[in-house]
Amino acid sequence: MPLAAFVFNALALNKKSAVAGWVSTLAILVSTVCAVNVFARVWDSESYIHQQQVWFTIGATKVYVGLLLNNLSVLLLLLVSVIALPVHIYGMAYMKGDPHFGRYFTYLSLFCFSMLALVVADNLILVYAFWELVGFSSYLLIGFWNTRDKAVLANKKAFIMNRIGDIGLLAAIVTLFAQFGTFDIDALFGQHGLISQATIQDGAWVTAMGISMPAVWQWVACIGIFMAVAAKSAQFPLHTWLPDAMEGPTSVSALIHAATMVAAGVFLLGRFFPLFSETQLMVLAVIGCFTAFMAATIALTQNDLKRVLAYSTISQLGFMVMAMGIGAYASSLFHLVTHAFFKCLLFLSAGIIIHEMQHLKDEHQLDIDPQNILYMGGLRKKLPFTFVVCVIAACALIGLPLTSGFLSKDGILIQSFEWAGHHGGIWYLIPVFSIISSMLTAFYISRLIFKVFFGEFEPEKANPHIHPHFTDGGLAYKIPLAFLALSCFFPIFSFNPFSYESAWVVKGLTLAEHGGEADLLHTIIPVGITLVSIGIIYWAYNIYVSPNRKLFPQDTFLFKLSYNEWFIDSFYNNAIVKGTLSLSGALFWIDKTVIDGFVGLLQNIVLTLASITKWLDKYIVDGFLHTLAATTVAISNFVRGFQNGRVQYYLFSMMAVLLAFFIYKILI
Amino acid sequence: MNALSILIFIPVLFALLIWAIPSAWRNSYKYLTLGAALIQLAVAVYIYLNFQTGAAFGGIDHAGQYQFVQKLSWINFALGDTTRLQIDYYVGIDGISVALLVMSALVMVVATLASWEITSNLKGFFILFLVLDMAVMGVFCALDFFLFYLFYELMLLPLYFLIGMWGGVRREYAAIKFFLYTLFGSVFMLLVMIGLYLSVTDPTTGNHTFNMVTMMSPANYVPGSVFDIANRYLIFGIDARTLGFIILFIAFAIKVPVVPFHTWLPDAHVEAPTPVSILLAGVLLKIGGYGIIRICAGIFPDAALSSAYWIGLLGVISILYGALNALAQRDLKRLIAYSSVSHMGFVLLGIASFTPEGLGGAMMQMVSHGFLSAMLFFLVGVIYNRVHDRDIYNFRGLSTLMPKYTVYVMIAFFASLGLPGFSAFVAEAFSLAGAFKSFTFNGLIPQWMAVCGVVGILLSAAYFLWTLQRMFFGKQLLKGGEAWHLALKDINLRETLTLLPLAVLALALGVMPWLVFDKVNDSVLAIVHFTSQFIGN
Repeated sequence: MPLAAFVFNALALNKKSAVAGWVSTLAILVSTVCAVNVFARVWDSESYIHQQQVWFTIGATKVYVGLLLNNLSVLLLLLVSVIALPVHIYGMAYMKGDPHFGRYFTYLSLFCFSMLALVVADNLILVYAFWELVGFSSYLLIGFWNTRDKAVLANKKAFIMNRIGDIGLLAAIVTLFAQFGTFDIDALFGQHGLISQATIQDGAWVTAMGISMPAVWQWVACIGIFMAVAAKSAQFPLHTWLPDAMEGPTSVSALIHAATMVAAGVFLLGRFFPLFSETQLMVLAVIGCFTAFMAATIALTQNDLKRVLAYSTISQLGFMVMAMGIGAYASSLFHLVTHAFFKCLLFLSAGIIIHEMQHLKDEHQLDIDPQNILYMGGLRKKLPFTFVVCVIAACALIGLPLTSGFLSKDGILIQSFEWAGHHGGIWYLIPVFSIISSMLTAFYISRLIFKVFFGEFEPEKANPHIHPHFTDGGLAYKIPLAFLALSCFFPIFSFNPFSYESAWVVKGLTLAEHGGEADLLHTIIPVGITLVSIGIIYWAYNIYVSPNRKLFPQDTFLFKLSYNEWFIDSFYNNAIVKGTLSLSGALFWIDKTVIDGFVGLLQNIVLTLASITKWLDKYIVDGFLHTLAATTVAISNFVRGFQNGRVQYYLFSMMAVLLAFFIYKILI
Repeated sequence: MNALSILIFIPVLFALLIWAIPSAWRNSYKYLTLGAALIQLAVAVYIYLNFQTGAAFGGIDHAGQYQFVQKLSWINFALGDTTRLQIDYYVGIDGISVALLVMSALVMVVATLASWEITSNLKGFFILFLVLDMAVMGVFCALDFFLFYLFYELMLLPLYFLIGMWGGVRREYAAIKFFLYTLFGSVFMLLVMIGLYLSVTDPTTGNHTFNMVTMMSPANYVPGSVFDIANRYLIFGIDARTLGFIILFIAFAIKVPVVPFHTWLPDAHVEAPTPVSILLAGVLLKIGGYGIIRICAGIFPDAALSSAYWIGLLGVISILYGALNALAQRDLKRLIAYSSVSHMGFVLLGIASFTPEGLGGAMMQMVSHGFLSAMLFFLVGVIYNRVHDRDIYNFRGLSTLMPKYTVYVMIAFFASLGLPGFSAFVAEAFSLAGAFKSFTFNGLIPQWMAVCGVVGILLSAAYFLWTLQRMFFGKQLLKGGEAWHLALKDINLRETLTLLPLAVLALALGVMPWLVFDKVNDSVLAIVHFTSQFIGN
């Protein structure tokens, strides 16, 4: 097994060479084969592999480097490499002709390396390190076209928002380290790990070793982890970077911002699951549910093809986090897996569409935005293959029967009802809102499909002389898409198309057995949702395609709220970014005026003191001396007058003295 | 001959040589200086490789555990009948010094390579440069307080002239500000040094002594003397030992620099020529941190522990304040100067925790910051040399014009903001881990400080990325127009040769942090052990 890790590492380095896509693709192929091999050995084998060796020692603490392979990590390992492989193949065609072709694959390989390492890392320091490297490679890829201002703004935003998550994770890690004295994930979160033995007593968080700290730090650790999850998996309130991140190449969006990296947050939740208490899980559920709902409403009105998909991703991630929150651990990860396939597929198809639109724009010098769905339409006939795979993916996203999305999403919904049944009362809002979000999903993705593929091609309508020659692209496009499309169907995951519980992913991950207490739900919910979804699709068809279409009013408050993405971004810009900047400006002013002013004041005081002493020196001390000197001079001048060498003067002065003497005598 | 003495006096030798060579051959000066720096680096590497580790080589308060020791009687004469003035030339290193020594030697080479830009009065420049070099090495090796003070003061003078004569427009202002700030600190240090001298006797000879290792043991204090641990002596109603600690701490805090003693730093950096900036940030700031560990915590451990809260607080303030100030800058060099303030705050926070992790992290941070700040200032120098402008808003889209340069800038920026895989990440993570652990380990500093320190990491990402975005990415736009376009050539061979090793080192230390930790650990544990005796005093 260290061999496998070594292979990953070596490949990553190898892939750094600029010799372009083949190296990278080959490398990821090898990784995939290794991953499959590892997966076969570890999955469901009741055992896990944990190997480590000392990395370095700091003080008396040894820090290890090693890998931990259990069901969770091998599942992700397989997922990442299996998704990355078609994206690599696709990328070779998609990025062809780009002047920085080699750089693209270097970055992509760096990302794959960090992501694969992240899922197998066995201690928190490594998790953090690769966690951030994943963010870093995403930063590089979002800003791949770094002469575009928007791309650079977007990658800065992505990195900084991810950094907020990172510092949360770091805070959580150091808290755990301070409390338990180890970074080892297995020791902390294993079946009888330190976390499970730690208890909360009288407001203090006590470990098995008897070390305690106030219970609030257990919350801090959880909040820190939540921040990390929210940043990577784009949960409210840290989700705003993901739509902007669509500035990167579309194949990157497919791999990183739809299938793998954003799933890292959910993965992290999976790893840290034992840390969360009941209440904290409820908070998670609420936030996940809210994110799912909010993002779905935003996706309704966006016109940028990739932005719609981005918000759809956020919404689906919200489902996963919510599923974690309600304890549907296995379903959450199952949804992660299925979502990775169909969302990746959607993005790759979007890539083809955008690519063709861009060509059209360049060819005819049109003033259109190649990503805006308002400029599309009727592409069904022009890109038939893309159309088919897109519809498959959309069905999976909506969760229609026979698709993988049906299995995983309905699993979550069913369990949310069960969960609400346990808690009762207001908690029924969670399943209700998730159903609503699910309906919204059906609507916005239908809108997308209808706008793009049905109706008439808008640019053609505007200038009839345009004759676009669109193609679905060569095999390098078609094979990955076909592969991903196949993976959207149920047999890949379960032979029973209607029961999520028989899916192998769920079986391998389920922590505890669920009783079949609410069998009724298992039938009602899927059937109900399917029917309503079909109704919504038909409704959307009526609105967007049929000749007598009716448009929504575009000036209502709700529309604006949705179109402007709930104003969250502008709030951040105005309140937080500007606030920080003005704070920093103010502090710089303090630096200049107060501290330097104080130093200047000291200087002035010393200088004033110096001039006072100078004055004293000059006028008092010297003045005294000068007076003395002047007096002496005056006296001596006076006396000198007597001694001029003339005898008659001497006689005169003697007489004068005698006279004075006599006068003196007489007077006394 | 003792390796440390070679290390210290090689620069003097070369300085004399340069002094002797007539100015007609002034072009040879820089090569001579480079030669000196390289020999020094070789010696430092030799020392590093031969430095033994293990519990028996902890150093700190055990004179026998220091390595490469040389002790010569220097000033030794009778004062009256009973006492003798005893000052030794006493050098030796433990884990704390060795890491900084090697780092300094390397930064010296970089700084020398950056001196190629100096064109006026070469003789003076390189002689002063080498004198500074000697003083720096001396400070890290000296174990006699008098000797330490001598080297410490000796650093000031060359720096004053190097900034004041070869600096930018406001160089006189910056130089005098720097000089006065530092002098303010060190003058009072003199008082404490004399007080210590009068309080401590050498157990073997019975004379008063400046030996720092002797000063660390409470048993060597004369009962009833000023700094005696057993009998508290009050000065102005304040405990004398606390006062002594505060004075020394302020002296070193000015060097570090710690907010609010930091305002000399941005001015000095902005005005100083590139090689001097490199030395200032790379080496001289570390003397502050080194002094706090070796002298403040070593000689006044009781006072250090009781003030740990305040040290930690100052550290956190430095981290946040420095980072926010950096965010407000538009001069690239000033931005980096403030980022230094912020990064050195982690050192202080780590030290204040008095945990093995925190101290180890602080040491790592000093070494890492030494390399990274040298790299950053060198990079600023590259662009300033070409167009004599550093205003962030005057540049845009440099990445298309200078791709290699941009790569190095990105490495330096990302390494500085603590990207895993680079040295600063390990350093900051463990400083914070130590600060966090302190609460359960010895109860010195509360956890919220670590949490606030974490925010500093976020801010550093903000100002570095913002700079990248403004200067290097986007559409190309230069204030100087075509002239700048021609002047801004990508980095040349000499610059690559300087930057590449630094980048490699930053990466190497991030992937293989044991290169530092192995040497430092024993001493760190020794400090923790040594100071823990005083907890609760």
